[in-house]
Amino acid sequence: MPDTSMPPAVAPPVLEIRGLTKSFGTNIVLDGVSMQVGKGQTVCLLGPSGSGKSTLLRCVNWLEPPDQGRILLSGKLMGFRDGGVVPMNGMELARARSRIGMVFQHFNLWPHLTVLQNLIEAPIHVQGRQRDEVIGEAEVLLDRVGLADKKNAFPAHLSGGQKQRVGIARALAMRPELLLFDEPTSALDPELVGEVVAVMKILAEEGSTMLVVTHEMGFAREAADEVVLLDLGRVVEIARPTEFFTKPKTERARQFLQRYVHA
Amino acid sequence: MTAAAFMTLLQGAGVTLAVSFAGILLGVPIGLGIALVRWGEVPVLRRVAAVYVSLIRSTPLVTLCLLIFFASPSIGIDIGPVSAAVLAMTLNTSAFNSEVWRGGLVSFPKDQLEAARSFGMRPSGAFRRIVFPQLWRSALPGLVNEMTLLIKGSPAIAVVGIVEVTRAAVRIGATTYEPLPPFLVATVLYIALVFGFVCLQRVSERTYGRAGASA
Ligand SMILES: Nc1ncnc2c1ncn2[C@@H]1O[C@H](COP(=O)(O)OP(=O)(O)O)[C@@H](O)[C@H]1O
Ligand SMILES: [Mg+2]
Repeated sequence: MPDTSMPPAVAPPVLEIRGLTKSFGTNIVLDGVSMQVGKGQTVCLLGPSGSGKSTLLRCVNWLEPPDQGRILLSGKLMGFRDGGVVPMNGMELARARSRIGMVFQHFNLWPHLTVLQNLIEAPIHVQGRQRDEVIGEAEVLLDRVGLADKKNAFPAHLSGGQKQRVGIARALAMRPELLLFDEPTSALDPELVGEVVAVMKILAEEGSTMLVVTHEMGFAREAADEVVLLDLGRVVEIARPTEFFTKPKTERARQFLQRYVHA
Repeated sequence: MTAAAFMTLLQGAGVTLAVSFAGILLGVPIGLGIALVRWGEVPVLRRVAAVYVSLIRSTPLVTLCLLIFFASPSIGIDIGPVSAAVLAMTLNTSAFNSEVWRGGLVSFPKDQLEAARSFGMRPSGAFRRIVFPQLWRSALPGLVNEMTLLIKGSPAIAVVGIVEVTRAAVRIGATTYEPLPPFLVATVLYIALVFGFVCLQRVSERTYGRAGASA
């Protein structure tokens, strides 16, 4: 429902997470997480393996419905209707998800579709946009990630770095308000990390709104507006990268940096 | 062997082909439905489907055919031999087909579905546009194998009085006292039928390729 009342003086953050809690059985994976991503911001979510980073991203687009807490996308409550308590039905959830782009650690491309078809699949069949327009836009996106010449190739014939650039272009083709990245370079051979990070840096500079789970500290240091450190399902520290990497406030952050940066 | 006898055998082959084809046409999609119910873990129905598959799989086609033929009048519908035969073939092959489909579904990469969901695809759309185009290619060899088994098992339907190719050969042999020629012809006809199905598989595999079989 479009809000027809007076626009608020300050635009709400693109993503706001309040008191997010999620357990699997007795395993409390997220324990009251609150954080936000403002429009045009890049926030890096750091944390040791198993700290709940992937689960947090999956809660944002409701692939895992949270136990408690609220997810607000540009001020609109995710997962519930009319800001209330009635859960969204499958169609409403699908529509809400299509506003969020997701980039996966293992690319998750659709292997029976060409690169171009991977990009246009959801914009045409989920968003119901005009085919010609979507194809034109997809070609521009492929050009931007340096893969214009691969548009008719199948994913199986691409390198890992190329696959992930397709993954990013596929997410962008949805014209998302928010981009989620789950360790986008962790499955890549070291020599291929650079080409993916370069694309992400450009996106960050151009003002995309991104929440990036990564162990790529160089990217966090240079491209992030803010760094969030998650440990055992809790936010340990939220800071600007310059402060986080040079004078972390908490002991836990110092230990983390010892392990992941100075190792 | 006379020309008339040869025509009888050809007719029998026509019956074999028609009944098998009907069974396949119905049994392949029903098998997919059963597989989807089990794969999608539809409550209650998945258990019904599992019981159905194990019961049908352990019943010989002859027995199933007789059971349907004799049981149908007692529940008030006299379906006749041809319908009984088609129904028996359909039930039989659908159970085996469902296992082929299910094998493909179970091994389908979860991460592709995760991507489909997070891009806002509904389960039906994800199945149609992402799963099925890959699934049928991986299931095809198993399905064709099951089709050939069905054709070779089809003499079972003779028990309800249908003259398919083997029964035709038996009859000709009984009247001419020369059983060898009709059975040789019958064997050649089976080989031709099965070969036809295998060729269909080859052609469709070549036409639709195996592009990007893995990513
Ligand atoms: N679907 C699930 N079912 C049960 N446990 C899960 C599930 N997903 C994640 N977990 C558990 O949640 C914890 C955090 O996982 P995850 O969010 O993947 O961490 P990270 O991405 O930071 O490595 C782990 O202990 C993991 O075993
Ligand atoms: Mg993870």
